[in-house]
Amino acid sequence: MLKPILLVEDDKRDLELTLVALERSQLANEVIVVRDGAQALDYLLREGDFRNREEGNPAVVLLDLKLPKINGLEVLQKVRATPALRSMPVVMLTSSQEESDVLRSYELGVNAYVVKPVEFKQFVAAIADLGVFWAVLNEPPPGSMKAIRRHE
Amino acid sequence: MNALLPDLAVCAQEPIRVPGAIQPHGWMTVLSAQGKLLAWSANWRNADRAGEAAALVRDNLGALQGGEGPAALGRIELHGTGLDVGGHRNGELVLLEFEPATPDSGTQAPIYSLARHFLPQLQQARSVQALAELAAAEIKRLTGFGRTLVYRFDEEGHGEVLAEQIEPGYDSYAGHRFPASDLPAQARELYLLNHIRLIPNADYEPVPLVGADPGWDARSLDLSWAGLRSVSPVHLEYMRNMGTLASMSVSIVVRGRLWGLISCHDHAPRRLPFQTRAACEHLGRLLSLQIASREDTTEVAARLELRQLTLQIVSHLADGDSTLQRMVAEPTPLLRLAQASGAAVVLNEDCWTTGDTPDRAQIGALAKWIAAKNQEVWSSDRLAEEYPPGEAFGARAAGVLAVSISQVHQHLVLWFRPELVTTIRWAGDPRKELTMTGGRIHPRKSFSSWQQQVRGRCAPWSATQESAVTELRHALIGIVLRRAEEMAEVASELGRVNKELEAFSYTVSHDLRAPMRHIAGYVDLVQDMEGKHLSERSMRYLSHVKEAAAYAGHLVDALLDFSRMGRSAIKRGRVETRLLVDELIAEFNRQEQGRRIDWRIEDPLPSLWADPFLLQVALRNLLGNAVKYTRTREKAQVRIVGVRDAAGEGLEIVDNGVGFQQKYVAKLFGVFQRLHQAEEFEGTGIGLASVRRIVERHGGTVWARGEPDQGATFGFTLPRKADARPREEGPTRS
Repeated sequence: MLKPILLVEDDKRDLELTLVALERSQLANEVIVVRDGAQALDYLLREGDFRNREEGNPAVVLLDLKLPKINGLEVLQKVRATPALRSMPVVMLTSSQEESDVLRSYELGVNAYVVKPVEFKQFVAAIADLGVFWAVLNEPPPGSMKAIRRHE
Repeated sequence: MNALLPDLAVCAQEPIRVPGAIQPHGWMTVLSAQGKLLAWSANWRNADRAGEAAALVRDNLGALQGGEGPAALGRIELHGTGLDVGGHRNGELVLLEFEPATPDSGTQAPIYSLARHFLPQLQQARSVQALAELAAAEIKRLTGFGRTLVYRFDEEGHGEVLAEQIEPGYDSYAGHRFPASDLPAQARELYLLNHIRLIPNADYEPVPLVGADPGWDARSLDLSWAGLRSVSPVHLEYMRNMGTLASMSVSIVVRGRLWGLISCHDHAPRRLPFQTRAACEHLGRLLSLQIASREDTTEVAARLELRQLTLQIVSHLADGDSTLQRMVAEPTPLLRLAQASGAAVVLNEDCWTTGDTPDRAQIGALAKWIAAKNQEVWSSDRLAEEYPPGEAFGARAAGVLAVSISQVHQHLVLWFRPELVTTIRWAGDPRKELTMTGGRIHPRKSFSSWQQQVRGRCAPWSATQESAVTELRHALIGIVLRRAEEMAEVASELGRVNKELEAFSYTVSHDLRAPMRHIAGYVDLVQDMEGKHLSERSMRYLSHVKEAAAYAGHLVDALLDFSRMGRSAIKRGRVETRLLVDELIAEFNRQEQGRRIDWRIEDPLPSLWADPFLLQVALRNLLGNAVKYTRTREKAQVRIVGVRDAAGEGLEIVDNGVGFQQKYVAKLFGVFQRLHQAEEFEGTGIGLASVRRIVERHGGTVWARGEPDQGATFGFTLPRKADARPREEGPTRS
């Protein structure tokens, strides 16, 4: 069983495009989608709506930086402060190229920082690279092509 | 100057207050406070006569007050001879002086004519010079002396003749100076006490004073106030050498200081009656008052004018956002304020000048030397004597007046005056003034005109000018302080604006890129999924939408890069441009695989003192432009050359591309300036603006040369490490 990818994205369109990109990258992992930082932490810490979910961390968290309620940096900070989550890969997936954001993310222990390219083809390529890189330990089984959406 | 003159101390030690003798044209009787006869002049012949004379005025003695100086005690008749009597108290003593009486002239007395004629004229005279001339004429009229001089003492005590009245046969001393040593210090003190001094005959034999007690020492008697006091033999010799047998001096005392003298000479002995002397003394007092008042008026007027000038200078500075160096932009009031021919404003290492001054390096060194004195105001009218390098300034700056504006910084304003070669005419060579023979001092023999040339000096800086520049200094400090406050305000405002700008940039980067991405992304998806069903025209339209979105995205990125370039701090290091160029060429070769570009590097390329990242951005822009604008060439050629000049070192990138018209060169480096249509060459029009911003933040210079269809050259230099000025801080960090 492949570990899922946790996608934290508040923007509907970005979400849709990211999912298309993930689809096209042919990753077999399930994609769990949450829409803000609070939900992300609930999922990761198995609290709130997610208190009954199965145990285990996602293969990677694709984390938008600018989020309602609790922003990406705060989520990251909490993840790194939680022993059970500390070694989980987190990738910032964001529109911001601001030096201060990049710097802060790395200070907080992000694994990668990806600025979403404007052009869709490049965007798809970037997402594919990410997925392949962070899910590289799990060779996708033949025929397993579809990512599963759980939350809209 | 003083080295020119012999030591005055020799003369100054002579005990002229206690000569122990009087002049022979009168008689003296000295009483105790109780009226007991203590001493008398030998020309009474005996004590009885002296006592007899004293007894005749004894009833009037109550009129004499101690410390008031001589007072008239009326006229007595002694053995058929009329005598005018004067007296004064000196401590426990009463000194009585007797002179042969002259007929009383009633209302024709000199004192009345003085009030009638002289006083109104005096009041009308506008200048000190005019006052002096009037006084000389009036004294001459009153006394009949053959020569009357009015002179003023300068700062060094030399007497400068202001006005003269002479009769035929008398040498003129108009415009001459009498050396300070003509009048030793103790003599000056006596002139302050006793305002009139007559020597009727320089050939006189002193009459010794005789005491009632055998042990009485004539030299114990202080004759400071006595009109008959015997004169120093040096002075008598001086008079005889000058051909003068009679002399009279009237003191001009202004604000308690011996300002000058009215000095009268005659070839023949001349006695003056008591009334005439009283009139002359009175004249001296009137003149003194008038001089004081004229000087006051003149000084008030001068101060008013100087204040006006200070106001002009200050209002000029306060008008705009100007700094101190703007003072030299309006030189007239600045120079007039100190009556200077040149001025300089020194702000640390920088220097601005106007008028005739030494060169900037010389001023810089001088300013440093003056600043080290730590004085608010410093001046010299003979600079080279105190500051030997000033010798090199030559005639253009023999003197300097300087004010220091800051205690922390070397901020000074300096005024320069040219050398004023003055010819001083002395009444006799002052160097030969005194001689010692036979254990006695002799005054100079000659009073014939002797000229002295004084070099290496400027006209002296007056106290009024010094106080004017002091006032200017206060005003400038006020301006500087106010400006510092304004700067602090601006800085905090700038900080606020920058924070807003940062927030704005952040929003742009995040929120503007997202919709661009969405447009591009969805169009792509539509093209992908529905491409087969769309008309060719729809597909073309969609691709325009996509390109437009992509372009807008690039623009946002470029703008952000540009703004970041202005904000982030520069971290300088040694950058080998050869390595940088090699990397970039490799990068462009990868990107432009379909093209053959002839890269020519003319070694050696310099190593520069720069921020490696920013320098790379600048070079990438310049090389990228060269690659872009040679695209239409069959043989694209890009040449990279090292350049160096006085300002620093840098590179030039020369291409054989489409070039540009030189008249547009100024536009080239502006933000969003494009010289080509967007279809011809892609780009956001921000690359060269970035290059310029990077270079200028390093304190360097950019330039461009071009010719349409021939190619373009872009170059820049950065300051060398030693010359790099601290401009690396972005505004947000300041």
